[in-house]
Amino acid sequence: MEVAKKLSVLADAAKYDASCSSSGSNAKRAKHGGQGLGNTEGGGICHSYTPDGRCISLLKILLTNYCIYDCRYCVNRISSDIQRARFKVEEVVNLTLDFYRRNYIEGLFLSSGIIRDSDYTMAQLIEVAKRLRQEHGFGGYIHLKTIPGASNELLAEAGLYADRLSVNIELPTESDLAQLAPEKKRPDLERNMAEVQTKAQEFKEDKKRGLKAPVFAPAGQSTQMIIGATPTPDLEVLKTSSELYGKYGLRRVYYSAFSPIPHADSRLPGQSPPLVREHRLYQADWLLRFYGYDVTEIVSAQHPNLELEIDPKTAWAIRNPAYFPIDVNRASREQLLRIPGIGVGTVDKLLTIRRHKKIVVQDLLTLRVVWKRAQAFTIANDYHPTRKPTCGNDVTKLVAKLRPPSQQLELSF
Amino acid sequence: MTAYVVTASDYASWRAQARALLQADVPPTEIVWNDEAKQDALFAATALPPAAAAATQTVPPHFLELAEVVCYHRDAERFALLYQMLWRLVHEEKHLLELVSDPLTRALQLMEKAVRRDVHKTKAFVRFRKIIDADEQEHFIAWYCPDHYSLPLSAPFFARRFAVMRWTILTPDESAHWDGEQLHYGPGATAADAPDGDALEHLWKEFYRAIFNPARIKLKAMKKEMPVRHWQTLPEAELIGAMLLEAPQRVERMLAQQEAAQSLFPQ
Repeated sequence: MEVAKKLSVLADAAKYDASCSSSGSNAKRAKHGGQGLGNTEGGGICHSYTPDGRCISLLKILLTNYCIYDCRYCVNRISSDIQRARFKVEEVVNLTLDFYRRNYIEGLFLSSGIIRDSDYTMAQLIEVAKRLRQEHGFGGYIHLKTIPGASNELLAEAGLYADRLSVNIELPTESDLAQLAPEKKRPDLERNMAEVQTKAQEFKEDKKRGLKAPVFAPAGQSTQMIIGATPTPDLEVLKTSSELYGKYGLRRVYYSAFSPIPHADSRLPGQSPPLVREHRLYQADWLLRFYGYDVTEIVSAQHPNLELEIDPKTAWAIRNPAYFPIDVNRASREQLLRIPGIGVGTVDKLLTIRRHKKIVVQDLLTLRVVWKRAQAFTIANDYHPTRKPTCGNDVTKLVAKLRPPSQQLELSF
Repeated sequence: MTAYVVTASDYASWRAQARALLQADVPPTEIVWNDEAKQDALFAATALPPAAAAATQTVPPHFLELAEVVCYHRDAERFALLYQMLWRLVHEEKHLLELVSDPLTRALQLMEKAVRRDVHKTKAFVRFRKIIDADEQEHFIAWYCPDHYSLPLSAPFFARRFAVMRWTILTPDESAHWDGEQLHYGPGATAADAPDGDALEHLWKEFYRAIFNPARIKLKAMKKEMPVRHWQTLPEAELIGAMLLEAPQRVERMLAQQEAAQSLFPQ
């Protein structure tokens, strides 16, 4: 099979991994006698975008889409009748270098179906990264998937060449896994994460002690969860994310709406498109990581799913009227972060401005606060929501406007 | 009343003249700033005020950083806006830069942001094409149209990343060349000065087509991040029309395959 054909098959098979990030690595790799190609400078770069709205930052491919597993949500499962292909190691190495030299990509994202066994597959992935680093002095970004069940020695070696390692948690709960990915066991997946974290920690401590330790997966770990393949609610999804962030120090959890698209008959009547759910999960994930929210504040046993019609921050504000209004001239950072329509960046700007002047509504508008969402919850120097002339003392009218009449939603960006 | 007409082309020339005008205590309302790059200056330049023996004015270092970046913006107003900011900073508004909701501060910060975004997009969208030079060496050449005069801010990035290659980036305003050791700048160019293809582009397009998921179309999101005005220099962009046309059939095929698989392996 020609390289072009393989590329077509093995990129097609890799596109269900949502992650394409190339950020977070600032590794100073050995200069390869002045003959090395490429670098990473911390921030990621998206070199192109496809009409699905996703970015292309890395050459994202599978080494092979042959697979001995039978995960039901996966196009590469053994029982799928798709076309199969397998790259040779040097073909991937050359493609990466050729694409990189033309500035198409930041580097390589390499995953694989499981061939023979976990260790054999992992060793193949490592071989690609090792040759790029050692034979070609490649300093660009490398993201390797770790194969569930691979040995600790191989995981340790992978981290020497990769900027980021990841293993997909795949589904939010163990019973989901048992149902749809019978060969994958949650403890195996978590063991990979734990091992990578332990190793990274060891290298860090060596460095602190003044030992000249090489870098180990400097851009950390991430994972991916498929959403909507099982009826598991958002509560379980977010609990799992929160647990993984805490336990293994993950940089990112990616959510991927089950794809291609659900079987028409399996869709419940009135259900919104899964893309909106994916979007709401990312918003909730942001609240957990940057806004100081706890999972139980966002979803609960009584309301186990995120509302699709409004964003989770506005939803929380509506459920907690006693917390508001917040005075932008006096409130703490934590309180400001809870106002709908105001982001982290704006909060920090407000804290700076108010050292010098009283904040009025015009300031908020200049900073592009989403006033439509913020106005029911905010006090400024010239504004108080219950004294707003048009609605008397009735904040509930303002709040009511935030909840659009129920209808089939489309994502608008 | 306008007393002075001055012309600036970049940060260095703006700074030198702004310093002289500030020391002579000339307020912004008495100055017309011309942009050398724009040919339509209404007034001929006048002499600067005589050097005054005034004490040196101090401004926050952050302002100079801001000014340096803003000077790469294409808007001819930038020099006048920067002088207004400078004037207010030394006349009892030394915190002006922190008042990010002030219209002038906001305007200049948006200009700075636009230039930084332009630099970022240059790093992303430059596409090199390989040729073999007369001396049989590989030479990578790109044709790109930045939104602003920002090439001097992005070229050093390419020099670090592609230090082992010989490369050239051609833009309508100027060009940057790396000979393996040093960065040189030259005059602007046209698309015709760049190679019209690269043997590897068919593989890149193959990848671009295959990595696209036809089951999720988000055209607005794509155009926001990859503005249509840049498509002319992106080899992969010529596929977008056809990919969108094919998408519905590809999704139908995927669904049909899925149904076939589900009938073989019922849940």
